[in-house]
Amino acid sequence: MPETYPAPANAAEGVAMMRVNVKILRFDPEKDRKAHWETYPVEAQAGDRVLDVINHVKWYLDPSLTFRRSCGHGICGSDAMLINGRNRLACKTLLRDVAKDGGTITVEPIRGLKVEKDLLVDMEPFFDSYRAIMPYFINESPPPPAERLQSPEQADRMAHSSNCILCACCTTSCPIFWVNGSYLGPASIVQAHRFIFDSRDQATPQRLNIMNQNTGVWRCRTAYNCTEACPRDIPITTIIEEVKRAVMYQQA
Amino acid sequence: MYRGREGQWAFLLHRLSGLAILAYLLIHVISISLFMFGENAYMTVHRLYDFWLFRIGLVLIVAGVVYHAFNGLRIIVMDFTGTGVAYQRQMWYGVLAISVLAALYTAVRLYPRLVGGY
Repeated sequence: MPETYPAPANAAEGVAMMRVNVKILRFDPEKDRKAHWETYPVEAQAGDRVLDVINHVKWYLDPSLTFRRSCGHGICGSDAMLINGRNRLACKTLLRDVAKDGGTITVEPIRGLKVEKDLLVDMEPFFDSYRAIMPYFINESPPPPAERLQSPEQADRMAHSSNCILCACCTTSCPIFWVNGSYLGPASIVQAHRFIFDSRDQATPQRLNIMNQNTGVWRCRTAYNCTEACPRDIPITTIIEEVKRAVMYQQA
Repeated sequence: MYRGREGQWAFLLHRLSGLAILAYLLIHVISISLFMFGENAYMTVHRLYDFWLFRIGLVLIVAGVVYHAFNGLRIIVMDFTGTGVAYQRQMWYGVLAISVLAALYTAVRLYPRLVGGY
């Protein structure tokens, strides 16, 4: 243990500050007919997250700003937003990656879902699609005395799809979902993949039938926006294509 | 405008070129079938196609058909193989290059007609 610890660097000296204009698409259903842009000048560190900047706006500039956030560490999936034209989690996006000093960042609500207020959208249709794919383990055989075992290879098969946090970044970046809300969407298909390719699950035919419906996997036109948007780096298009092939070969 | 990458534009162009081809086919069938009403009716409409916009349209429709065909092959490769998904970007640039080359070739072959009409 060292005798003395170095004094903490003075924040103003040690860390470069930057000024950014935060342009937020505001909508108050009680006052506004249409959404409108509102710009807030903010001083922040380059290493701050966009969530910090939006919190700053809410806490010190305009307390009426409404948005969802919970854990702030990219695991609860609450703060998906359209930042600089792309869907991202505000808590996983660093300011320096989306803005230069003196620059502007734009923040909009995610698309394709009804805006309730400012950045807060109605997630219910999204979770309805999630429920539609039977997101629960089905196995009617009597449980073994210990765990139902999987080989490492079998676990790898569903490793990517079980990483999903249901933030809706993918579904609301999909051009098909924007115009056709009945499409289950990439997030639900990823969740379905997690059970279809689970070696312990027994409802695969049922699940594939859900995927085969006209709201299912065939609506995907491989625009890749979901894969680009996923904050968990899930190869979503690859997963959807795997489900498509599973549906097709099941029928063959 | 959502700032998607190559895949989004590949999808949009595929839709647009598909619609353009459909429109072209309908116009084609309708104007050819006008021959049922005699040569006069047929020629009145076909003289319209000498308009400069239609002449340039010839190059665009070739680009559209070639794009739609080759991007269709790209989609088939993506749907059936994992490597297709991994290399979708490179394949799309290939498709674009082929479409531009086809359009250029058409423009060169049709040059007299493009500038001077029939």
